[in-house]
Amino acid sequence: MKKRLLRFAAIALSVMMIVSLAGCGSKGKSSSGGGDADKTITFWNIGAEGVNKVLLSYPVELFNEQSDSGYEVEFVATQNDSYKEKLVVAMSSGECPDMYTSWSGGPMNEYIESGFAQPLDDLYEKYGLTDRLMEAGIAQSTYDGKIYAVPTYNISVAGTYYNKEMFEKYGLEVPKTISELEAVCAKLKENGITPFALANSTKWTGSMYFQLLAARYGGLEPFQAAVDGSGSFEDESFVYAGEKIQEWVEKGWFPEGVNSLSEDDGQGRQLLYQDKAAMDLIGSWYTGTLKSDSEEFYEKVGWFPFPAVDGKEDNLPIALGTVGDQFISFNCEGDKLDAAFELATYFSSEEAKAKDIENGYLPPTPDVATLVDDPISQQVLSTIADATAVQLWYDQYLPPAVADAHLNTCQELFGLTTTPEKANEVLQAAMQEYLDEK
Amino acid sequence: MKKKSEALALQRNKETNRVAFLFLIPVAVLLILYIFYPIIDAFRISTLKWNGISPNTTFIGLDNWIKLIHDPHFWSAFKNNIIVMILSICVQIPLGLAMATFVEYAGKKSKLFKIVWFIPMLMSSVAIGFLFQYALATNGGIISSVSSLFGGGNIDLLGNPDTALFTVIGVIAWQFTPFYMVYCVAAYTNISTDLYEAAQLDGVNKRTYFAHIALPLLAPSLKSAAILSMVGSLKYFDLIYVMTGGGPGTSTELMSTYMYKMSFAKFNMGYGSTIASGMFLVITIISLLTMRLLNGKGEEK
Repeated sequence: MKKRLLRFAAIALSVMMIVSLAGCGSKGKSSSGGGDADKTITFWNIGAEGVNKVLLSYPVELFNEQSDSGYEVEFVATQNDSYKEKLVVAMSSGECPDMYTSWSGGPMNEYIESGFAQPLDDLYEKYGLTDRLMEAGIAQSTYDGKIYAVPTYNISVAGTYYNKEMFEKYGLEVPKTISELEAVCAKLKENGITPFALANSTKWTGSMYFQLLAARYGGLEPFQAAVDGSGSFEDESFVYAGEKIQEWVEKGWFPEGVNSLSEDDGQGRQLLYQDKAAMDLIGSWYTGTLKSDSEEFYEKVGWFPFPAVDGKEDNLPIALGTVGDQFISFNCEGDKLDAAFELATYFSSEEAKAKDIENGYLPPTPDVATLVDDPISQQVLSTIADATAVQLWYDQYLPPAVADAHLNTCQELFGLTTTPEKANEVLQAAMQEYLDEK
Repeated sequence: MKKKSEALALQRNKETNRVAFLFLIPVAVLLILYIFYPIIDAFRISTLKWNGISPNTTFIGLDNWIKLIHDPHFWSAFKNNIIVMILSICVQIPLGLAMATFVEYAGKKSKLFKIVWFIPMLMSSVAIGFLFQYALATNGGIISSVSSLFGGGNIDLLGNPDTALFTVIGVIAWQFTPFYMVYCVAAYTNISTDLYEAAQLDGVNKRTYFAHIALPLLAPSLKSAAILSMVGSLKYFDLIYVMTGGGPGTSTELMSTYMYKMSFAKFNMGYGSTIASGMFLVITIISLLTMRLLNGKGEEK
C-alpha cells in the first residue's frame, strides 16, 4: 500500500514537472495577437535609467492620465547595451511587444521585413503628426516609401565641442576648413594638449571622424552608391577619410591608447575636464551630458560643425546624425494600434517637449528652435535647418553585418593595424556579401 | 526455499529498475529539453537562411557550412581560442598546484592565504571585467599611472591588438587559478597521511616526496583539471565580451563571441547556429582526442 502511494507520488511529481515545463513553452503565443479583452499595451524601451528613463516614461504617464482609449501601458525598460539582443530574442520566440523603440536604420529594416512593424501613414494623417514632426525625422522613420516609426525626443547630430578658454589662451580660431583644423591641432599639440578627446573602445565614436571626413570630401553620393551596389566603399572619399585619420593618429592628435578608452565610462570627456584635450567630435546629446556633469565647465564650452575639406565647401551643409532618436515602432493592430499610436503622439505634446528641453534634449519638432535658449543647442538646430541632408550614422544605417565590418575596420584604422585601402576592401566585401544575398 | 529467494531478488531488481527509471525521468526531461533539443535544433537552423526574427526561413542545405569552412574570421577566432586554451592550461594548473602545495605544506598557518587567494573565484566575471578595464585604462588606470610616475608614459594593453588577447588571458588566469588551487587541495586530501608518514620514516625529504609520491598520485586529478580547463577555454565568452568585445578590430574575437554577434547583432541566426554547431563539433573532437591521449598514456604504465 505504502509502496503504491510512493509510486503514485513519484509519477504525479514527474507529470507535474513536465506539464509545468510545457506551460513555460507555450505561454507567450496569446500576447502577440492583440485580442479585444487584452487592454494592456506592452511598451519596450531603453528607459532603464537617467535621462532616458525620465523622457520615455513621462509621455506614458501623460497617456495614462489623459487618454480615454481605455488602454493601459506596461512600461518595460531594459538597459541600453542588452536591449537590442533582448528584442531579437523576443521577436524570434513570437513575443514581440506591442510597441518598442529602436535606433531606426538597418535593424529597424530587419524588424519591418520580418513583419514586426506596421505602416503608419494613415495614423500620421489621423493624428496630424506630419505637421508636428520634422521632415528629416519622418524621413528616418520611412522604409520603402512608407512610414513605420515615430521619432520621439532627441535630435543629435555630430559636431565638435571645444574648450573656448583653451582656444583663447593659444590664440586659436574656430576652424572652417580641414587645413585650419589641422593648424589648430598642430598648435595644441605643440603646447602639450591632445587635440581630440576621443574614446574609441566603443568604436562608433571614432567612426564619426570617418563618416564626416568621407562626407565632407565626396558628399553623400559615394556612400549611397556603395550601399545600393552601384558604387563601392573603395571610392576615393573613403580612402581620404582613412588616410586623414591615420595621418592624425601618427601626429598624436588622438589620446594615447585611444582604442582602449571607453566612451560609455566617460573616459573621452574626462580628458576635456582635466584640460588634457581641447576638442571632442561627438553627437549633440553631449550638451545635456556636459551640462549635467558640470555647469561650470559647460560655460567654457563652444561648438562648431565639422569643417569643410578645402575646395569642397559645397559638402559642408551635410549633417550626420539622427533626428528624433528612439523611434517607436508598433507590432499590434486595430484599436490597440490606434491607442499605442496615440501614446506615441504624446511625445510631441507641449508638456513632453518642455521636459525634453529641460533635460538638454531636442525634440524633433519644427518649432523646437523657438523653445530652446541654450546657444549650443541653437547652433545645432540651425545646422540641421540649413542641412542639405541628414545622414543617419553609418553604424545604424547600414545593414547590421556591414555596420559591424565598418566599426571594426574603422577601429583598426585608429590602431594603425590596417591600411585605408585594406580597411575599405574589407568593408566593401561585407557590403558585397550583403547585396549578393539579398 | 532457494527458488523463492531468487524470485524475490529478481522481483527486487525489477522494482529497483522501475524506481530508477522513474527517478531519472525529471533529469532526462530537463536534459532533453535544455541540452539535446537545442543542440539538434542548432544543427537544423544551421541549414537555414534566417535572420532570427522573421517567420520566413529558407532552406539552403550545407551553404552555411561551406561558408564556415572558408570563413577566415571563424578560423582566426578558433586560433585565439587555442591560444587561450594552451596558456590557460600552462598557467592556471601549475600555478594552482603550486599554491595548493604551499597551502598544504604550510598547514594551519596558511589559512589566510587560502582565503585571500580564493577571493577572485567569488567575484562574477562581469565585475572582474570592469574592474580590470578600469585598472588598465590608459587615462588614470593603475598601470598607466604607475608607469607615468616612473616616466614611462601610458601603457595601452587592451587597445593594442598585439597585447589585448594576452592581457585578457592574464585576467582569466587571475580569476580561475584559485579554482585549480581548491581542486588540487581537494586532491591532496585524498592522499592518505599514512603514505607521508611512511615516506618520512624512510627518510624521504619533502621535495622527493612531492616529485615521486604526491605528484603521481595527483596525476589523475590534474588530467581532469586539464580537460576542464580545455573545454572551458574553447567555449570561453564572458571576460572577452566585457573587456574587449572582440576588439580592437577583431583581434580578440573568440568563437563564442563571433557566434553571439552573428546571431544577435548581425541578424544572421542561420550562420550563427552554424558557428555554434561547428564549435560543438570542434570541442567534442578535441576533448575526445585529448581524453584518449591522456588515458592511453595511463594504461601503458
